[in-house]
Amino acid sequence: MWKKVFKIFLLLYIPLVGLTFVLIHLQKKGQLIGFEQVEKRGAEYKKNYLSDLCYSLVYNTQYWCSINYPVDFDPLGTHSEFIKPFLQTITGISDYDQFRFLDMQGKEFFRYERENREIMIFGELQDKATRDYVQKGLALKRGEIYLSPINLNKENGVYEKPYKPVIRGVGPIFNSLGDQIGIVVINFKMARIFKLLKSRITDSDFYLVDSNLNIVTSNVRSLDLGYEIPEILDTLNEDYKLDIPELKLHKDTTFLKNGSMWTSQRLNLSNILETQIADYSKSFQVHTPTDWAIVQEISAKTLRNEFGLLYRNFAIFNFFGIIASLLIAYGYVRSKTRRQQFYLQLNDKNKSLLEGKKQLELNNIQISEINERLQIRNKQLEEFNYVVSHNLRGPVTSMAVIVDMIKKEHEPEKIKILIPKLDQISKSISNLTEDIKEYITILDQNEILIESINLHDVIESIKNEFLETLLDGENFKVIYDLKDWDTLDFSKFYLKSIIQNFISNSIKYRRNDVESHIIFESRFEEGRKVLYVKDNGIGINMEHHSQNVFKLYKRFHRNISGKGMGLFLIKSQLEALNAKISVKSIEGEGTSFKIKF
Amino acid sequence: MKKANILLVDDDEIYIYLTKRLLNDISKEIAVSSFTDGEQAINFIKICTEEKAELPEVILLDVNMPFLDGWGFLLEFKKLKPKLKDKVHIYLVTSSELDNDKKRAKDFEELTGYYVKPVSEDNLIEILEEVYKQNW
Repeated sequence: MWKKVFKIFLLLYIPLVGLTFVLIHLQKKGQLIGFEQVEKRGAEYKKNYLSDLCYSLVYNTQYWCSINYPVDFDPLGTHSEFIKPFLQTITGISDYDQFRFLDMQGKEFFRYERENREIMIFGELQDKATRDYVQKGLALKRGEIYLSPINLNKENGVYEKPYKPVIRGVGPIFNSLGDQIGIVVINFKMARIFKLLKSRITDSDFYLVDSNLNIVTSNVRSLDLGYEIPEILDTLNEDYKLDIPELKLHKDTTFLKNGSMWTSQRLNLSNILETQIADYSKSFQVHTPTDWAIVQEISAKTLRNEFGLLYRNFAIFNFFGIIASLLIAYGYVRSKTRRQQFYLQLNDKNKSLLEGKKQLELNNIQISEINERLQIRNKQLEEFNYVVSHNLRGPVTSMAVIVDMIKKEHEPEKIKILIPKLDQISKSISNLTEDIKEYITILDQNEILIESINLHDVIESIKNEFLETLLDGENFKVIYDLKDWDTLDFSKFYLKSIIQNFISNSIKYRRNDVESHIIFESRFEEGRKVLYVKDNGIGINMEHHSQNVFKLYKRFHRNISGKGMGLFLIKSQLEALNAKISVKSIEGEGTSFKIKF
Repeated sequence: MKKANILLVDDDEIYIYLTKRLLNDISKEIAVSSFTDGEQAINFIKICTEEKAELPEVILLDVNMPFLDGWGFLLEFKKLKPKLKDKVHIYLVTSSELDNDKKRAKDFEELTGYYVKPVSEDNLIEILEEVYKQNW
């Protein structure tokens, strides 16, 4: 039963599992697409934010370039009044970390540094001729702006501490005569920007990388621009380069790697700024080496967590699926088993009904057999009654008459004549009683020993009892034809008596003008054993005697002595064992008996 | 007075002896003959018919006899009847009181009467008076 349940369960559950996998796959795909979109949007947002910022830097720088500075501009000396109103503006722009003018030799001639959020001071002038951004700046023509890469700030050639990531906007400045007097360099603090960039919108990790995949800033790194200071990297045990070759393609992409989902948006600043600026005016050009990418990573762990929920839901779904499948399978098998049991019971009932029917039919047959026997028995009793009333009552009434006569008779001589008559009567009564006794023995036989008898042997043994047959059939022949059957379940005693009577009759009533014989023929008729006993004797006049052939004391041949009991006994013995006898005879030709066992 | 001629047909010799005695006692004018079976009796009737001899007027016929019983006798007698000049009164005499015999007897119009043994003197007188219309 449990095997069946398990089978059906599998049948139900395997498609469910398949469905689950398909659904998980689809859901995951959908979720990944969702993540990708969110990540893309986040990256886009950050990219736009950064490019906006850069634009504002460029624009700021451009502003300072567009001012007509006095000839022989000396902001710290003669032109301090000129610069004074600007200082307030510079201080107010909190992202300005340094504001400097450098002459054409790369030496600072104005340096305004932020002390804190509200206060800026004039700093010590330095020679920056060797710095890359200065050289790039000095090469600029009018209308051109240079935006430096983001670097950690160095003062006098040494990294300023705490490390301060800055981006520099550089542009040429001109006096009122139109002569270039140097460059303006504005250091924008990146700290605030980075903080904003690093703020988590989603669960993803954020990286800003340069074209070499160096990590400019990230919310999973402790330092910004850590790659610039290799000497402390060892102590931090952090990697400041994203070693993911797919990102080198430097295009907008999303992919899965090592279980993480990476989203990259390229930020080619010069291209972006160019298009942005083009919207306003074509009055200036931007140069910047910066080619960044905004990279966001949904870590494998986060993804696992996200999908974990999915898996959990499907696990719950499957759990209930298993239970439901099991219940359905169990219910199905149970109902099927019950149905089968019901059918089995029905079959059993049918069978027992059929058996009952058979039994009934058998009973019917038995009853009809019993009925037949009873009818035979009835007839036998009737015959017995007849025999008694005719043959016994006769002598008895005669006796009564004689007794009556004797009473009336006064002459002793006459009485003497009557006495021997009484003797005669008593003899005949006693003979009759003997005969009836024999008959009653047959009628009364309740337990007759039935055994398997070989007919041939019985006939053979009886044959030898008769003198007429002993002389090698000279006078009388006993012929067998027992091909069909020769063994019979019957009473041996009766059968012997029957055969004896037949042979005796045939010898007694044989014709003298022919070779006399008796033939025993065994046959099967309608499935029953039939024995024919035929002789070629003098026969019986059936016209007169058909009713009386088997009756007691009936004799059909005057000249041949006989008691008239042989056939009566044969019939009685056969009927006692449910066999039937009938007779056909032609006078002068012979008699044929047919016995149906 | 006419001499009565009675035939007894019965295999019971005692019965024949007794009946003869009774008839003899009733009258000496009664001629009684007898046969012990139906076959002999019917043969006798046949011969009488052929030889135009006088037939018995009364036959007391037993039912149960060897060779040819009462019924067989009646059947044969039926065949002979057209040849007979005078009426033969046949009384069936049976030793049984069974209804079967009585019923069967009704089918034979040749029968004048039916008696159950013992046939008493009174019975015999009754028969004689019925047949011969005179007192015995």
